[in-house]
Order: sequence, then C-alpha cells, then structure tokens
Amino acid sequence: MNKSIAVIGGGASGITSALELANSGFRVYLIEREAAIGGQAASFCCKATDICTKCSVCLIPEKLNEVAVHPKISVLTDSTVAGLSGKAGDFEVEVLRKPQYIALERCVACGMCAGVCPTEPKASRSPSPDAVPYCYVIDETRCLRLRGEKCNLCQGTCPTNAIDFDREPERKELSVSAIIVATGFEVFNAREIGSLGYGRYPNILTGLDLERIFKDQGSLKLPSNGKEARRIAFIQCVGSRNEGHGYCSQVCCKYAMRFARLIKYQNPDTQVTIFYIDLQTAGKGFAEFYDECRGVIRFIRGVPVEILETSGELEVRFENISEGKVERETFDLVTLSVGITPRKDSWSLARVLGINLGDHGFFDTKEPFNSIETNVEGIFLAGTCQGPKDIPDSIAHGVAAAEGAMGVLEKCK
Amino acid sequence: MGIFLCDCGGSLKNIDFPKISGDLEKLEDVAFIDISHSLCLEEGEKAITSRILSENINRVVIAACSAELREHKFVRLLEELRFNPSLLSLANIREQCSWTCEGDVTEKATELIRMAIGKARLLQPVERKNVPVNREVLVLGGGFAGMKSALELSRLGIRTTIVERKSTLGGKLKEVEGFYGLETSLKQMLDSMITAIEKDNNIEVLTSAEVTRVRGEVGDFDITIGGGRREFSLSFGAIIFATGYRTEILPQDFELKPGGNIISQLDLVEMLRAPEKLKRRPETIGFVLDVCDENSRLPTLSSLNNVLAVREKLGSEVYVFCKNLKVDSEGAEELYREARNRGVVFLKFDEPPQIYREDGRVTIKAKDVLLGEEVVLLCDLLVAEERALPPEGTKGLSSMLNIGTDSQGFYQDENVHLYPAASARKGVLFVGGCRGNLDLGRALTDIASAVMGSYSLLALGEAVVEVEKVRVDPEKCRACLTCIRACPHGAIQLLRVNTEKEVAQISDLACDGCGVCAAVCPAKAINFEGYSDEQILAEVETIGG
Repeated sequence: MNKSIAVIGGGASGITSALELANSGFRVYLIEREAAIGGQAASFCCKATDICTKCSVCLIPEKLNEVAVHPKISVLTDSTVAGLSGKAGDFEVEVLRKPQYIALERCVACGMCAGVCPTEPKASRSPSPDAVPYCYVIDETRCLRLRGEKCNLCQGTCPTNAIDFDREPERKELSVSAIIVATGFEVFNAREIGSLGYGRYPNILTGLDLERIFKDQGSLKLPSNGKEARRIAFIQCVGSRNEGHGYCSQVCCKYAMRFARLIKYQNPDTQVTIFYIDLQTAGKGFAEFYDECRGVIRFIRGVPVEILETSGELEVRFENISEGKVERETFDLVTLSVGITPRKDSWSLARVLGINLGDHGFFDTKEPFNSIETNVEGIFLAGTCQGPKDIPDSIAHGVAAAEGAMGVLEKCK
Repeated sequence: MGIFLCDCGGSLKNIDFPKISGDLEKLEDVAFIDISHSLCLEEGEKAITSRILSENINRVVIAACSAELREHKFVRLLEELRFNPSLLSLANIREQCSWTCEGDVTEKATELIRMAIGKARLLQPVERKNVPVNREVLVLGGGFAGMKSALELSRLGIRTTIVERKSTLGGKLKEVEGFYGLETSLKQMLDSMITAIEKDNNIEVLTSAEVTRVRGEVGDFDITIGGGRREFSLSFGAIIFATGYRTEILPQDFELKPGGNIISQLDLVEMLRAPEKLKRRPETIGFVLDVCDENSRLPTLSSLNNVLAVREKLGSEVYVFCKNLKVDSEGAEELYREARNRGVVFLKFDEPPQIYREDGRVTIKAKDVLLGEEVVLLCDLLVAEERALPPEGTKGLSSMLNIGTDSQGFYQDENVHLYPAASARKGVLFVGGCRGNLDLGRALTDIASAVMGSYSLLALGEAVVEVEKVRVDPEKCRACLTCIRACPHGAIQLLRVNTEKEVAQISDLACDGCGVCAAVCPAKAINFEGYSDEQILAEVETIGG
C-alpha cells in the first residue's frame, strides 16, 4: 500500500498540508514551480506597530524551516506536473523538473559562484536571503555559458563541485495515493484599469508593492523622489467585486487597514485615507482593530474612478457617497488594494488533472459547503487556488485538505 | 570533547583556521580539532562519523553556519551514531561572524567557539522516550461542529464520546431550515449525521450531560461528567470544544422587545416553511444588520439567503439596512448580486437607524448614505439583528482549564500561532461558534484542523517526549505556585513527593519548552537544560578569557 501524497504548490496552504501529513507519518512530495518554497506570503512583511496586528505573515518562515528539515517531505523545486494517470489510492504523477545546474544536495550556499560571476546582476544567486531551500540557482537568461558563450568561472571556483552545465531536465514518476492542489493565486493586474494610472505614475503603488517595500526597507517613502509621503490614500476593491471579478477578495480591507495603521504609527503626521465600498471587518478581534483605526484614519465611502498626476501630485476624483458629491482631492501617494485572482495557468493544470474550474476561474469543488474535494476522487484543493483566503484561512484550509486526503490513505490501509 | 571547524568550502577567507586550531588545542579537555571544508555534505558527515566512532569523547562542538540551516542535520547524524544530541554545542562562524564583519575576524570566531566550548562543558544529556497516550477524544457539544468532528475522527479510527447538555443531538442548526438554493436542506444533512452517529461504533453519545471538572493533561485528561443525579469520571487524550454560541435577538440598544411583528431569523424561517399558514402575507419586510455587532458574517449570510427565499415564497418587498455588507465569505457576493437583481433594496447607514412600533407596523428610520437623505420605512415585519454571544459556561470552563478567551468572550486567545483550532494547552481544541467562527465554510475548516490536531497527537497511542528537559529541583521548590500560575500550557501541577512536602512537577508531554517557569521561579528551582543560568554564564564568562 502506497502511503505517499503529492502536494502541488509550496505556498502557505501547500506547506501546511505537507507538514500535517508528514507529521502523521506519510511521505509527502512537495512540488514547487519556483526555485524556493514559500509562495507569495513568504515575500510579505510583518505589519506590527508597537503591538502585533495579527497579519500572520510570521507563520510562513516558521513552517518553511519545519518543511526544510522534515525527513518525510521531499521538496521538488523548479518542478511542474506534466501528467497524471491512475485513480485515487494509486496515482502516477509525472513531474518535470528544470535542469539543476547547481545540485541542491551539493550546494553549501557559500556564495563563491556569485563572487566570480561576470554578469551584472549576477546569473548565480540565492532566490532570497531567507529562501528555503537555501541554495544558489543559475538564471538561464543571464548566464553567459547557458547563452552559448564560453565561461566557466563559477564551475571552476565551486569548492564542492556542485555546478554542472550538462544537466538535463528531469522527468520523474511519483506513485501517490492522493494529490493536494495548492497552486495559489495571482494578484490582480492593476494596469487593466487604465484610469487609475498604475504603471504610469511612480507614486501609485499596489498592496503587493507595499508588501515588498516594507519587507525590504521597513518604511515607505515616495518612489519618485525618496521624500516623506504626507498624504496617502488606499483604494479598496481594485479588481474585486466588479464585473470581471464578482467576488470579494477577503484580504484587502485587512491588509489596507494594517498598512494604514503601520504608516500612521511610523509617521503620526501622515494623513491616511481609505476609500471603500463595504469594509470587511468580521473575524476574530478585527472589529476592535477597526475601532482603533477609526480614531486615526479617514474612511470615505466611495471608490475613485480616476487618478491624474499634475505637477507631481496625484489628483483623485471620487464620488463621496456619504456627502453625495463628486470631489477632487490631491494625495502624494496612492495604494491600490488589488485583489486575488485565479492563476492564469489554472486551466492547463485543470486539464492535466481532470478537475473543473468554477465560475470565477478558481478550481471548483464537487458540492457546496465542501471546499476541498474536487470532481476527481483523491484530488483535493487547498488555499487560494479554490477561492480568496487570507493567511490564517489558507493555513486552515491546508489542514482541511490534509484531513481529506487522510481519508483516502486510511482507506488504502 | 571533540571540535569540528568548517570553512564552508574555503569561502570563509577572513578566518585563519589553523590559528584557531592552534589556540584551542591548548585547552585541556579538547580531544581533537578537525578542520573540514563541508561538514554538511556527505564527505563531512563521513568525517564526523569516523572521528566520533574512533575517539572516546562525551561532548561535540561544531563551528559552522547558522544553526537554523544545519543543526537538524548534525542532530540527526549524532542520533544515528547513538551520541546524545543534547551534548552538541554550535557556534555560528559564518552568518554571525565571517559574513557580517569586514576584515580579519579570526579573533571573533575564536571567541564564539570558546563560548560554545564553555557551554558544552556543562551540558547534561536529555533522554527521549515514548510515553503512552489515551487515544480517545472527548467532544463537547452535539451540534453540527461536534457531530462532524466525531464522525471525521471515527473515519480515521479514533474513538470519541460526545457530551451534549441538551437531551438530543443537533444543536442550533436543527432549528434552521435550509439555506437558499441548496439541494439538501441543512435539516436533512443534520438528520443523516445523527443517523450515522447512532450506527457508528466509534462514537458514544451522552446527552443531558455536562463536564463538571477537568484534570490532568494531554494524553491523560481526567474528566468528570455530571448529568441528572449521576456523576462519573472518564479519561481522554484530547478535548474538542464544539459548544456553539448563543444569540441575543434585538439587543437592548433599541429598547424594543421582540415579538409580534419584530421577529428573529428563526421565526422567519418557520414562516417560510409553511407560507400557507400565514393569515396575511407581509407586504414589506425589513432586515437590520450591523447595529450592535460588526462581526456579522453569519447574520449577513443567513439574511442574504432568507431575503431570496422571501422573494421566492412570499413575494414581499424586502429592504436590508446595513452598515458594511459582509461579503468576505464564499458565495456571499453572488448572493448579494442575486438579491439586488431580484429587487431587494439595500440601504447603507453610517449612524444606527431608529426603530419603533407604530400602528401595528414597524418604522425604521435611517439616513441612507447613497441618497444622502433620511429614509422612513414602514414595514409589516422586521427581522431583527441577532448578536452572537459565547456559549454558557465558557467562563467557568476556560478558567478551569486556564485557557484564554478573546475580547468578546469567545474561547481561544487572539494569537495567530494558535489558529485555527488550537489553544495554549496541548490537546485542547476549539471549533466553530464557540471560538467565534460563525460561517459554516470556516467552521468546516476548523473541524478538519481539530481532527488533524488530535489525530497527530494521539493516533499512535504514544508520543515522544524529552525527559525532564525542564526540571524542578525538589530541594529548592517552596511550592509557591508562581510557576503554575505563569505556565501558559497548564503543564505544571503540585505533587506530594513524600508525606511532608509538596513540590511543582512539570509534565514532559504537556510542556512546550517556552521557559517561562524557569524565568519566574523565585527560588531558582527550575532548570531548563541547555539554558540554565550556569550554562549561559559559562558562555558569557568565556568572552575575553
């Protein structure tokens, strides 16, 4: 009897599913498309002020370290699922792995390859300072050798002989009893709404940009000139609750309020405004946080339709619903609270696995009030590939998927 | 002791390894110093293996990269070699030395290694062993969440006992007719669950019963159950709380009493079940949300479902007054759109509406933000807001178990590390309404988490513990109870060691290794192996020596 499980996707919910199953004694293959696991949440920042605001981002590195050292979890990075055969209890998963020019099991992350790499930026790099697995990878698009030139510097300097340019893509067949799909989401592309000016004006950012800025720099300055931003606006529901995306993304009100609170905490003089349709303040302890925010942040009901830059300032045109007026106001910086959308490549994985896509493009479940079981027995969904979720909900969903998969494994016993 | 130094493939060029080796060789208790290029790779492990097997050493010091990256590897290797890994001391000379400092750092590296040596001298072996755990789980509450938890655990081969305060299973959901648009109603679903539980040999049901006392800890809870005149004790490995929630209809903020034409969602559902029994069809129905509680996912979902049912079955005009419509649960936005398409009017207020009875009808007066004007609605029926409250007995049980509640009084601290279903006490789990999680979709993921949580703790019937990693010295302990009050995990109890003296004792299984007890003990009677005062001081005192 086969006590293995494949988890596709190494983000918040995927690593949770993997850990739950591995801790219950099953072998887990964690298949990750990127060179490091962690998914999107691993690139998010802590939003604590003088107290924790419960964004849950800190749960991810903890779990990643657990995954990295777990003897029952095999992490397959740079890998995608190319085929599937068999049925619940006896699946064969075909995995395609990009060539591993730097062998994971030989790399000690000493960084000497990057030291001698002649390209700028370096072709050999670590995906991030806290990447898991912590190992160097070679960027095929930059590496001189892989682009046909003669260069052998890194191979010559590597002290553990980890580098080999002749490595080919690998094809692996995994025999597993069940599959958990945890491929995550894509952030809504704010460029699709041209009138909001994202990509055109430097001081218009998205929530995702803010995550990266705070993670790397710890505070926010104007991208255009590095000066303090005095007037900041958040615009909610960008790419949510509209014609193309008829659902609430569930995360944006929370992250916007946490960022707003953090910005006010760092710079009490900054004026922060949140434009919204309906504030989603449900959830454990969140109503109290909202009360606290109301004291220091301006909330305006009504979502702006147009932002124009005039002499370095952003003029926001919006309908102030509570006042019943169309108004204009200038800000130094505007953040678009972009929502969660299904991954564009979902359909191709759906085709390989034979599972269905729902109305909004997320993977579909077989019945209402069951958010984990797909139309194919033995294939389960975890996290945001099934629909929008915040980090705690994604983690909870990852556990639920693991629990569902356990049922299949128990049956196989 | 044996010392292994790693120069990370020769990349730590600002450290003079032969010099360190020469310095440390002079220490009396050092048996050997090996310099390796890659301790973490296969060849490094081989080198460690052959040295440890051939030399007679009782402490190992490894100076290499961050413990976060490689400690597990060295620990596993030592375990394989039957060398107790608690006698390993690490020095990080890569991330915290070579990489962070400019110029030659040989001196700093030497000090870091000396600190590790100083600590290693005082390390004591911690043994691991398997202790038995009771595989049975107590489920408190026989509503949807409790029954579902028991059925899922049974599917995984775990026996449960459901204790229900009322005389029948079913809980709150029993009172609710199906959500709009579902093929099987919730009542049918509930009935089939009750039937499944009756047939299930893994599930025992005790109705009209209550938990009156909880003692013991994970793996061995001693639970006293009372009901009627009988009282008896049972033993369980874990406890799942599924005690649901209470609702308060039309909270006092309005100074109005429910009844007559002010009804609850449940009354409305009764009406919808048998519309033909109505004497007169209500022409206008008003709903009010968000006045006294903005944590309104469940009220919003049930209102959205019910307004659609009203439109279909009664054809009444429907007006929903709310502040912020809570659409952050699955399917809610779709229901909202559907309702608007079917002619339901949503009015949003910033200031709470005024509500009063007038000539047999109910008047709702609110300033609608979209119109910017005051709206006065005369309705035949008002479906009042319901506030969710923690279940009865929450305070008593939470203080009995020494577990926290959130700001609204529901079970479970507001601590993201415990979400979704855990508590600070191992083996005590919460699901659904009793932890304030009110929508069905999220309650289902809670249930799965609690089931997984108790399964992984108990399924094997035994658990691995580190024996006396945190230990109370019975000579020094004055039984002052400070540690017992401070322990967030309920892992400490007073125990009579001999006839005259009581001392604190720490359960290896329930202990989470947080160290709070060792820090607060006024008599310094608690020793956390690896972090004792002597060991830390030994590290510090080595500096500059």
